[in-house]
Amino acid sequence: MSATLQPYLEAVRHTLEAALCLEQFSSQVVERHNKPEVEVQTSKELLMTPVVVARNKQEKVLIEPSVNSVRISIAIKQSDEIEKILCHKFTRFMCQRADNFFVLRRKPLPGYDISFLITASHTEAMFKHKLVDFLLHFMQEIDKEISEMKLSLNARARVSAEEFLKRFN
Amino acid sequence: MIILEQNNRIIVELLEQKFANAKEGGKHDNVNVTFADFDGVLYKLSNPDGDRNKIILSISLKFYAELQQHGADDLLRRVYGANFRQNPENGFNVTLEYDLNNLPADTSDLVTKASALKRNCFASVFEKYFEFQEAGQEGHKRAVINYREDETMYIEAKADRVTVIFSTVFKDADDVIIGKVFLQEFREGRKASQTAPAVLYSLGEPPLELKDLPGARVGENVGYITFVLFPRHTNKKTRDNTIDLIHSFRDYLHYHIKCSKVYLHTRMRAKTTDFLKVLNRAKPEVKGEKKTFSGRTFQTQ
Repeated sequence: MSATLQPYLEAVRHTLEAALCLEQFSSQVVERHNKPEVEVQTSKELLMTPVVVARNKQEKVLIEPSVNSVRISIAIKQSDEIEKILCHKFTRFMCQRADNFFVLRRKPLPGYDISFLITASHTEAMFKHKLVDFLLHFMQEIDKEISEMKLSLNARARVSAEEFLKRFN
Repeated sequence: MIILEQNNRIIVELLEQKFANAKEGGKHDNVNVTFADFDGVLYKLSNPDGDRNKIILSISLKFYAELQQHGADDLLRRVYGANFRQNPENGFNVTLEYDLNNLPADTSDLVTKASALKRNCFASVFEKYFEFQEAGQEGHKRAVINYREDETMYIEAKADRVTVIFSTVFKDADDVIIGKVFLQEFREGRKASQTAPAVLYSLGEPPLELKDLPGARVGENVGYITFVLFPRHTNKKTRDNTIDLIHSFRDYLHYHIKCSKVYLHTRMRAKTTDFLKVLNRAKPEVKGEKKTFSGRTFQTQ
């Protein structure tokens, strides 16, 4: 693990732990409704200051807390065209399965690759510290997975090209 | 299965079965099968005019007229001899005919040849230009074969080499990028094998050799691959092997691009399940009733 990754993840962890103090909060606009305030943005007083934790220009996390929900958006490192398509495919693949993931948002925020939305109901149904663990695990693994996929793609291309050209004599 | 088969598996299986049946003296069945191959090729295996004692194998290629200009008929007549029918079946370009009552003792050679029908159709144009190179003739017009819609093959002979240029279209935007990785490796492939031909590629626009050609396509999703074949590839001994490989190059490239995408997809699927498992750990376990081996339960207080 590189030297800058650990402090980056630690900063994200602490910010998330602080942000995930949520309570059920009924909508101030519509009666008997309970909406994630960070999404509807009906009232300024219910939103807290958003925080960006950035490791470098490409890798950053935006955490937007509110009274009853937190939105976490992650930008994933994409150093070349292949990583870009791999990342795009992967996040799209996951977003299509957002129903199974409970906390995953169907669409990422513009400028980010993937977004999560954690509401008060989620924190009631699940352990908070485990949720934070999941998000950090996700951040670590997705980088690893994308670079592994890229390596295997290159390896495959090499093997197939060599096999083909070897046949010529 | 890294290398694609050169011949057509369906032809092999059908003919082997028919020939074996005929040799055992079984009754000849009616046959009428239509099937496809790469590059929009269509085959049909049937009985001519309902005569069950004979079977004919016809092939339809969209670009056969172009191959004919390069002597495809002569080559096929040479390879298939008596089996090559002068006038092909209606709607097809080439027809081979087999008399089931009059088969040679060993039909395996017959089957192998028949299954390589598509390859042999292609072979004529390659052989012609290989001959030019061998004779040291230069200045022949470049052969242009539109082997697929939008995709073209150019062959040119020089005194010391034959260049084969493929143009190929990547339908998907992602394929362009993955294709680029593959083509890069093809270019580097000479390091692995000294005997390989030189491979060059250019994306988006045709290589310099084709600059003067008006028909060459330009566009983001078009790729050009140039094979430079040296005399070691085009001499009489190795020629057949070279043709085998080079005519299937386009299929090979696209096949492997598709395969890699499939592989990446399976990986993503596996990883997503893995993420899901981690997320589910966040849920508190539902407390079920625990039982001992003998069936008694614990009382929670």
